[in-house]
Amino acid sequence: MDVKYKINRLQTTNEIRPLVDKHWADLRTAKERGELVAWASGPSFIFAYAMGMKCHFMAGYAAYCGGIGAGEEVLKVAEMAGDLPETCSYHRLHMGMGEAVARGIPINPQAILPMPDLMVAGRLCPEMSHYAEGLHRRFGVRVLPIDLPGPYSMEDLPRIREFVYRQFKEVVIPTFEEVCGKPFDYDRMSEILRVLKEVAILRNKCWEFFKDKPSRWTLWDYGVSIAPVFYLMGNPAGVTYYEKLLRELQERREKGIPAIAPDGEKYRLYWDGWLPWAFLGKFMRKFIPNGAVVLCGRYPWEFFPHPELIDPEHPVESWADLYYGMESHLTYSFSPKGTINLIGELIKDYSLDGLIMFSSKTCRVMNLAQPEVMDVLDKKYGIPGVIVEGDMIDSAMISDAQIETRLQAIFEMIDSRRR
Amino acid sequence: MERVLSKIAEVTSDPYAYVAGLKERKNKKIIGCFPMHVPEEVVHAADLIPVVIWRGNEPVTWGHAHVPPYDCGITRSFVDDAVRGKLGFMDGFVFHIRQCLQAGEFPFIMERHFKPAYQKVLYLPAIYPGDPTRDFALKELESFKTSLEDFTGKMISDDSLKKSIEIYNKNRGLMERVYEIRRAKPEILKAKEVMQIVWSGMLMPKEDHNELLTELIKRMEEKSVKAQRERIKVILVGCLCQTLQFDILDLIEDLGMIVPDDDLYIGSRYFANPVNLNGNPLKALVDRYLTKSPLCPTKGVWDIHWGDEAIKKMRDNDAKGIISVRVKYCPPHTCYYPDFRSKMVEEGVPEVMIEMEHEIISLEGVKTRLQSFAETIGGV
Repeated sequence: MDVKYKINRLQTTNEIRPLVDKHWADLRTAKERGELVAWASGPSFIFAYAMGMKCHFMAGYAAYCGGIGAGEEVLKVAEMAGDLPETCSYHRLHMGMGEAVARGIPINPQAILPMPDLMVAGRLCPEMSHYAEGLHRRFGVRVLPIDLPGPYSMEDLPRIREFVYRQFKEVVIPTFEEVCGKPFDYDRMSEILRVLKEVAILRNKCWEFFKDKPSRWTLWDYGVSIAPVFYLMGNPAGVTYYEKLLRELQERREKGIPAIAPDGEKYRLYWDGWLPWAFLGKFMRKFIPNGAVVLCGRYPWEFFPHPELIDPEHPVESWADLYYGMESHLTYSFSPKGTINLIGELIKDYSLDGLIMFSSKTCRVMNLAQPEVMDVLDKKYGIPGVIVEGDMIDSAMISDAQIETRLQAIFEMIDSRRR
Repeated sequence: MERVLSKIAEVTSDPYAYVAGLKERKNKKIIGCFPMHVPEEVVHAADLIPVVIWRGNEPVTWGHAHVPPYDCGITRSFVDDAVRGKLGFMDGFVFHIRQCLQAGEFPFIMERHFKPAYQKVLYLPAIYPGDPTRDFALKELESFKTSLEDFTGKMISDDSLKKSIEIYNKNRGLMERVYEIRRAKPEILKAKEVMQIVWSGMLMPKEDHNELLTELIKRMEEKSVKAQRERIKVILVGCLCQTLQFDILDLIEDLGMIVPDDDLYIGSRYFANPVNLNGNPLKALVDRYLTKSPLCPTKGVWDIHWGDEAIKKMRDNDAKGIISVRVKYCPPHTCYYPDFRSKMVEEGVPEVMIEMEHEIISLEGVKTRLQSFAETIGGV
């Protein structure tokens, strides 16, 4: 008889929305309070926070827009302004919002942000630069660009690390000092990192519950809990949130409650690429009836998986090391070799059955060599994978039938290998 | 002139056979440099033959198993060529993976399926303010030079690099002269022939190309052509990294337009800006890379406008309009295009954008757009 699977919803995750809403609401009203506003892409907002500026974060804003259902209307404004549909949807989203503000086009008020006093363009991927360039050309936004190359090989890390660190010291910090009219606040940056470290340690304890069989929670639960380890960093509310989440997960373990009823998952899956922010529910509704639970992924694992390496005493050096140091090297997981290493570890640590490689049609930063990565991992670990095409927020790029066919294929592959 | 053009057409009609034959004739190793910013001079100074990688001449087949269908034509075509074994004559590759995300696909695929004897990944920086940019660009080129020295087992002296730069600069000067004559007598060459001339220079040793150009220029200078004043001058812009389909170039001319100049990669952008030979040659190559004009949307430049440059080129040539050629799934161009278009509208410049894919399904759509554009600007 078919098992009727059903999600066991966590209670704590309900508390993330007010935190996130408050962050964006504070940003929306910052200018009314006479505060300076920055926008940021890549891991650059920490410098704005250290200077007491209210700051947006590119992917965070996109996730927020997707989450509140505002993505479609903002993308339409971008299209009306001439942006082409094959452009990165995060790029289009920002252009659409800027155009809506500039032309007074009504969109969901929660999706509107004040134009920034400074746009910090961390160029992790070239498109993070393109959108800053567009904002400058169209709206005259002042741009502070930082080049943040993703290393192909570990051996390239030291020279890239030096380049990035020098940009922080010689370009980024002096620019913030000029814009804010005061010396850079290293103490505040240290404090932000101290809080981040505490939150990330708690978060890692929560990750342990993904290892349970059955798992106590899903990657989607963690996906909506990412803000405290990234753009809400430095906010002590993140500590409270993860302490509570940890307690709830411990309680689940004690009571034997799995992530999905009645008895937990049939398939334990890995998710590659961005999370599909506007379609989390859609995917969940396709996973759960099949007894599938996604447990871990490359993007959600890029937020400081080794908090012990965060060194608040040396904030700027530590920030560069977290992304480009020989120990932490978060940017290396963007390269195919780094991806293979990371997923290999996750396969072992979390007893995974299959890989879903989410390939964004408009943002290629995490698509690189996905078919190769999948093939290498299949040969090495005997774990099958499928590519699922889609987008983070643009529904025009999402096909239900394609997703269902691919998911069916991965479930069948796992079943056949089990036989 | 016909003899030179026919030699050039021979090179570009089958670049695979030509480069494979070149390797045998010269008894030198071939290094494929992915367009658009690899400084070929360094490869040349290592006594290797640098060849700019090209978009292939066949539909993508096996490549589909390695790269998504929403990567651009040259990305898919190059991977397809590599995994099908069509590039066996290449000994190594250089990929600048920071110009565009899709270039990041190559190194791992090549390592797995091609196993080149030499491979170098470059991270040339965007042209951002501050000393770190220039210093890092220089370190990248030093690391590039060292990697080639390790590969060949021979040092690259400053003198040999300067000699290579001289040869390349000569090529740039000759190409500029070809364009100068074309600007004065646009009827002298078909747009397709101009593209073939530039492209052949990306495939041939520059010394050989310089010889051909010298002869070509002589013939071009001698030849008188009848001005076709009824033809409408247009400027072609864009088409980064790859060749434009020759059919489209022919179509433009068949519709009564003529191209006196361009802002294409396989066009004037390739040979723009000679390298300054005074001082440290690697630093001079960095200076060339960090030059903002002609604006390339892959270099993170925003204090000058691509639209302004195109309009200037149009006005300098007394042209009536601009045809933007956008390669499907080219993010740098696609992200820039709306602002380019806005500039055209602001300045009242007639402009049309055509989208180009590796596999042309039908030319009819392109023809309709171009025909209506020609009519708009006063043509047929």
